[in-house]
Amino acid sequence: MAAAVAATDRGYSVTPRQRLALLGGLLPAMVLLAALTLAPALYLFVVSLTPATPTNPSSLTDFSAPAQNYLSALADERFTESLWVQLKLSASTVIAQTVLGLGVALLLDRRARLVQALRTIFLIPMVLPPIVAALIWKILYTPDVSPLHRVLAAVHLPVSSLITNPHTALWAIAFADTWEWFPFTMLIILAALQVVPREPVEAAKVDGARPLQLFWYVVLPFIRPAIVVAALFRLIDSIKAFPLIYVLTSGGPGTATQVTNYYAFTQAFNYAYWGYASAIAVMLTAGVFALSWLVSAVGTRSSAHD
Amino acid sequence: MTDALPVVPNPAQGRASRRKRLGPVLANVALVAVLLFVLFPIVWLVQMSLRPDEDILGYQLLFTPTLVHYTSLNESKFLHSFLNSVVSSCLSTAVALVIGTPAAYVLSRWRLKSRRKIAMWILSTRMAPQITFTIPFFLFFRLVGLSDTVWGLALIYLTFNLALVIWMMRSFFDAVPRALEEAAWLDGCGIWNAFLRITLPLTAPGLAAVAVLCFIFSWNDFFYALILTRTNAMTAPVAIINFMQYEGWEWGKMAAGGTLVMLPVVLFTVLVRKWLVSGLMAGSVKD
Repeated sequence: MAAAVAATDRGYSVTPRQRLALLGGLLPAMVLLAALTLAPALYLFVVSLTPATPTNPSSLTDFSAPAQNYLSALADERFTESLWVQLKLSASTVIAQTVLGLGVALLLDRRARLVQALRTIFLIPMVLPPIVAALIWKILYTPDVSPLHRVLAAVHLPVSSLITNPHTALWAIAFADTWEWFPFTMLIILAALQVVPREPVEAAKVDGARPLQLFWYVVLPFIRPAIVVAALFRLIDSIKAFPLIYVLTSGGPGTATQVTNYYAFTQAFNYAYWGYASAIAVMLTAGVFALSWLVSAVGTRSSAHD
Repeated sequence: MTDALPVVPNPAQGRASRRKRLGPVLANVALVAVLLFVLFPIVWLVQMSLRPDEDILGYQLLFTPTLVHYTSLNESKFLHSFLNSVVSSCLSTAVALVIGTPAAYVLSRWRLKSRRKIAMWILSTRMAPQITFTIPFFLFFRLVGLSDTVWGLALIYLTFNLALVIWMMRSFFDAVPRALEEAAWLDGCGIWNAFLRITLPLTAPGLAAVAVLCFIFSWNDFFYALILTRTNAMTAPVAIINFMQYEGWEWGKMAAGGTLVMLPVVLFTVLVRKWLVSGLMAGSVKD
């Protein structure tokens, strides 16, 4: 820790006593943050090396077969299947949210007065407590109470419940997730659109560029980093999707909507296989960190461009 | 690169100008459609919470609103859960501000070599799946008796709130000129005295925004509360789900609970809309 605070204080004369005072302000937060994040992460890894389960108290310190949970996971069909479900959910929601977010951002761009009002309204789905968003879609997807199902029935196109059908349940969740989170990609892309320099755009217009050419060759290069960062953020968050799945389908029907995060949750808290669930959580965390390293790399590069 | 090209009259210009008139109209129609898509589900929940039970599934626009579902919530201990949400969110926000703000100030004034590493660490805590922290905290809470307490919840909410405060307040402090506090030091004022009297008041709007963001993120939590509480410290989001599972399908009551839980967030969002996205992306943009 002391080495970490060996500082380069740019032309800023700090006396040794002041340095001590500054250190006193920084350390409590760093220690607490370490205790709350690094320690649990390490402990998770330790637990993942044991067959921990509440029925056997000594199992928490049994390190006789440290790799067992990881080997079991690789052989566990429900685990590999959950990765596949995860991939389908992540790919579909990231693509839908990026495309819809980009489209709406383009519609809103340059409409100053509308933007102000609409931007705030479009924020609502993503700040809504996720459980309320899930409740809303539970209502809309339950045929008995859903206004949509009733309208479809009234025009003689009755649709049976989408969330109890294994072929449609995952897509119903993806649709609700897109409703909840496309505003996020939209806002990031809109912010990037609003700082696209005007000169190249005007010049291309004078030269007779059609709107599509204008977008593809002039605007897109400017906003591409923002699109990539927004999509990566959604990709990472899609791995953590929980309330929608918990409320709409509980991972079912069967295992049709059981993503990896949800599988780890059931293993840990429905079946109390703490060791095994920890191993899955460790792998999930490693995957998420690899992706966030990517975000950091892209984010740094895009802000270096400014 | 294209300055030299002459502007040639475009044969398609007639078509283009007609399209120019049609374009904005279509764009506005599309925007209205998106607006309806966003708002309709929310409005539906709210109107459902106001509809009398015998007409809960109705869809006539005209109905006599009733508060019966809200009063029935009062009888079902929902208020207790609502208070748990308020207490755990406020507690966690307060601790995160008290401990995180000085650290943010130090990180802003002191150009540490490990700044990038700290940024990466903060980004990781925002990115990590909740289950990473949940299993260790669950085992730890069982051991020390923090299960099913608002203290335990407030503590685990610090995992994201502390990082958020440090990250966002640092950028607000960066914007305050150092000359002011240096002048105060010359007058014999200590570092933290100058911080409290000069720098902190100047960042008050930012501080308020960060506080609201911390509150929203804690308030919105479902996963931690679901696993780490049972009855005592159950928060409002978990209570709503319990209406669904244990008390049969009381749609009116769930809609009323959902509306109540959503209300503070929607009101606060209007206040902090400028900072919301940077809050959600804490750690990733700019250093």
